[in-house]
Parts: sequence; C-alpha cells; structure tokens
Amino acid sequence: MIKIINAELRRLLRRRPLIAMASGAIIFALIAGVSVFASLGDGTAGSRRGGASLAELVGAGGGTDAFAIGASFGGFLVFVTAIAVFSTEFSGGTFRALLLHNPSRLKLIAGKLAAFLLAVAGLAAVAEVASFGVSLALAPSQDIASTAWFSLDGLGAAARDFGTVFAGVTGWAVFGTTLGVIFRSAPLALGVGFAWAGPFENIVVESWSPGFRWFPGQVLGSLIRGGSVELGFGRAAATAAVYVAIAAIATLVLIQRRDVTA
Amino acid sequence: MTAPALSVSRLTKKYGDRPAVDNIDIELPAGVVAGFVGPNGAGKTTTMAMLLGLVRPTAGTGTVLGHSIDRPADYLDRVGALIESPAFYPALSGEANLRMLATVAGHDPAPIPGLVDLVGLGGRGADRYRNYSLGMKQRLGIAAALLGDPELLILDEPANGLDPQGVREMRGLIGRVAERGRTVLVSSHDLSELEQVCDWLVLIDKGRSLYQGPTVSLLDGVVGGLVVRAQETSDTVALQRILATRGNEVASRDGRLLVDVNGADVAALAAEVNRAAFEAGIVLVELSPQRTTLEDRYLSLVDGGPQ
Repeated sequence: MIKIINAELRRLLRRRPLIAMASGAIIFALIAGVSVFASLGDGTAGSRRGGASLAELVGAGGGTDAFAIGASFGGFLVFVTAIAVFSTEFSGGTFRALLLHNPSRLKLIAGKLAAFLLAVAGLAAVAEVASFGVSLALAPSQDIASTAWFSLDGLGAAARDFGTVFAGVTGWAVFGTTLGVIFRSAPLALGVGFAWAGPFENIVVESWSPGFRWFPGQVLGSLIRGGSVELGFGRAAATAAVYVAIAAIATLVLIQRRDVTA
Repeated sequence: MTAPALSVSRLTKKYGDRPAVDNIDIELPAGVVAGFVGPNGAGKTTTMAMLLGLVRPTAGTGTVLGHSIDRPADYLDRVGALIESPAFYPALSGEANLRMLATVAGHDPAPIPGLVDLVGLGGRGADRYRNYSLGMKQRLGIAAALLGDPELLILDEPANGLDPQGVREMRGLIGRVAERGRTVLVSSHDLSELEQVCDWLVLIDKGRSLYQGPTVSLLDGVVGGLVVRAQETSDTVALQRILATRGNEVASRDGRLLVDVNGADVAALAAEVNRAAFEAGIVLVELSPQRTTLEDRYLSLVDGGPQ
C-alpha cells in the first residue's frame, strides 16, 4: 500500500496544484479569522459551539478557534473534492488502469484515500497555522490578549482542534469516497452529495431537531467544532465512527465485488 | 510440451440473462502472437477483462501463466495489458503517468524514456496527456502495457486511432515483442493486419468460440475459387458458357472468370478448365487458385457456425 500512497501523493502534490491548494487553505484561514472577529464585534457570537465567544478567544485555545469554527465548511469542501476525485477515477478509467498494474482493489482504494487524507492533513495544518496568524493580527483590534495562546495549554488546544477537525474531515472524505464509488459518475455523485448534505439535512433539521443528532453531515459538523449545542463531542465522535465504519465497509464491499467495466 | 500461456474452460459471463461470453474455451500456447477476432459485441473485451481480473466470470475456470484467473494478483505483474480505451491522468505528462503506474506496480521506472521512444512518442513524453491526440494516447497505452517487460501482452484493439504509419509500427512492435519469446493476445477488427502479424487465431462470435488454432491451418488449402482469364477479352463469355455447360459454377468479374471449387480437387479442376479452354481454342493467360483471406474465412465461419 505504501507504493500506492507514494504514487498518489506524487500526483496530488505537484507544484501547481500544491500552490493552488495551499493558497486556498490560507484564504480559507483569512476568511474564517476575519469572520470570527467580525462577529465578535457585532456581538452576535455566543459560544464556540455556535461561533466564538470573547471568553473563548481570550483563553488558551483562542488562537485556533477561528480554524475550528471555519473547518465545518472545510469539511464540506473535502466531501465534494473526495466525490470528484474518486468518481472520476472510475468514470475516467484510471482505476481500471491502476488495477492492471496492482490488482489489489482494497489496497488501491485504501492507499488512494490515505494519500488524499495525508494531503488534507497538510492543508489543514497550513490553514490552522495561517488562521492562528490571522487571529494574532486581529486580536489587538478587540483588546484580546494572546499571551495564553502561546502557553503549553494553548499548544494542547491547538493540537486538539487539529485532531477533531482532521477526524471530522476524514469522515467527510470517507463519505465522499463512498458516493464516488457507488455512483462512479462525478455529476451524479456530486448532485446526490450536494442535495443531501446541503439543502436536505439543513431544511429537515429546522423542523425535526433530532436530525442534528442523527444526520451524518450534522454529526460531522458537530465533531469538527468540538461539539455543538445539540450534540456533545463524545456522542458526535461515537455516532460519526459508526457512520464512517458503515460507509467504509460498503465502499470496500462494492470495490471488491463489482466488475470494473469503465 | 510447454504449458499454455493462458487457458480457459467453459468461461461464461452473463449480464442478467444475456450472455456476453458463453462457455468459451481458449488455449493459447506460450510464445504465439494470437489474434482475437470477433465482431462488435462478440465478447472479446469481456473475455480479456476476465483474464485480467477486472470482470468476475459467472462460470468457468482458467489459468494465466499457470495461475488461476480467480487470483489475478498471482500473475498480473507478468502481464501487460491495454484494454478498452487508454486511461491516464489528463493533468500529468505521458512520462509522469507511466512513472505513476510503475510506482504502483513496483516496477523499475528507468526504462520509461526508452519505452516512450519505442512507441513513437519520443520528444512528447513531457507533454500533458490531455494534449495528446487519439493516436498518441493509444501509443502511451501500449507503453504502459510494456512496463515491467511482461511475459504476456493482452492488447484490445491497439491500432485504434493510429494512422497507417502507426498501424505498421504497431505491427513491428508486436513482432519485436514476440521475437523475445513473449506471448501476445491482440484483438482487432482489421483482419488483414491480424493476418500479417498473428500465427495463432481465436475466432469468436456472440460469445462463442468459432475457431482456435494456427493461422495457417485456418487458411491453408482453403481456396475461394479458380481465377481464369482468357487472352482475348472476347473469349471470356464463350469460356463462361462452356464451363457452365460442363456443370461448373462460374461468375464473371472484371474480365476474369471465377470458377467455384465447390469442394473439388483444385489441381484437377484447373486441369479440367485448361483442357476445356484448349479444346475451344481459347488461350488462357491466367489460371490460379484464389486464396481465401482471413476476412473471407472469418465471415464464412460467422455465417456457418463453429468448425
């Protein structure tokens, strides 16, 4: 599987796409930081679970709050990217071409997903560092002391934020991979993914609040934010783990059993 | 006797009730260049896909390079293949695509520049795949199939999109691979090309095997008819009438007569025609057996069923 990860990373991390992805991560961090501090100014933010509070920003983990809050949207980006990447592997015939050179289907899909997640982890790290920098630059405008951010607790909070965000985007990536494998067509898989995780979940939860605890997208969103008002972190992590396991098993069974005809 | 390069028995693939491949038996001796012939939808690509582990057979057994087709991982590192249309990453260069495949397979990437030259892409290997023409994509697909110096090469319509020069180069390439003792299974619609390059043929239609064996055995001794031409064009009609009177089936085409052999001894028929012409005072300038081409033979088999 190392060979597959190696080959896939070389493909994903070419200079031009790497610059584009890193730029995207920095822009994302900039927007997240500005939005969080701007919402503080409006007095609209309550707690970290719905947005950042002043108390949280002053605390040790305040430096990466913007990253953790903005990462919910980042998770959705990872979802649609994974759908596009994996469905195109099938519709474009490259999965077939790779199978002719390495017939282990499970290793191939797992290796490609692992490489994808490694690239995402790198981008998340860039985004976290960049959002920390943006927060650091904006903190004086709200009279927020950033001394605690550099403490050992601050570093621990940053690591925790990275961990929860990465766990959440891993879930999104697995769901995206599953849809890509099921539909094997980017337009179809993207359509279904968008419709479900976008309008469907968000409209239904407005009138059916248990949806916050059960819909996969809502669960992953809560996980990424470190827990939400509707769903605590522990419950979100456990539910997400079950969903991800089901999606991963479905993907592996389909990959293993289905004919590769495209 | 050496083990066959590949052998399948009662291999079947059904999609619902429709058989794409129906109880097909194939045995390919090691070292041959085998043409895999059949009309569109005959089951060639599906058969190749089953040999390559891409498609799961509904029934049947088989081996490739001595290993069961149920376990393609045991032999695919010794098999090179181009099946359906070539598929590569559009944003990568031709060489980068080959390096990626070599890495995935665990092959040494060092021969890649040589392979790129070998398939006629020299100087264009660094270009992005998305900028390749159809013929160039096909050439890159063949280069990918040659990665790792495979013992068995399976090529599905490799001449697709190639210009006449490319088709000739492809023929030469297959010949060079075969000279090194490799086995090649190549499907094509261009039967004249296959006739030139293949020493073994597997003919299928509607998922069933029509013929398999040496090319010479399929074509040798098979004569479409006797071609007869009189020195004087004006004698052609008279000669046709004479031969018809003697019970021969005769057709006139382009100033020549084509006498149906109809299962008779070709030499005896030629002597009979020559004698009849001589007795009528007609001088012949051409009297030769018309050899059946692979295309003629193939079409007769498709129409007439397995032989």
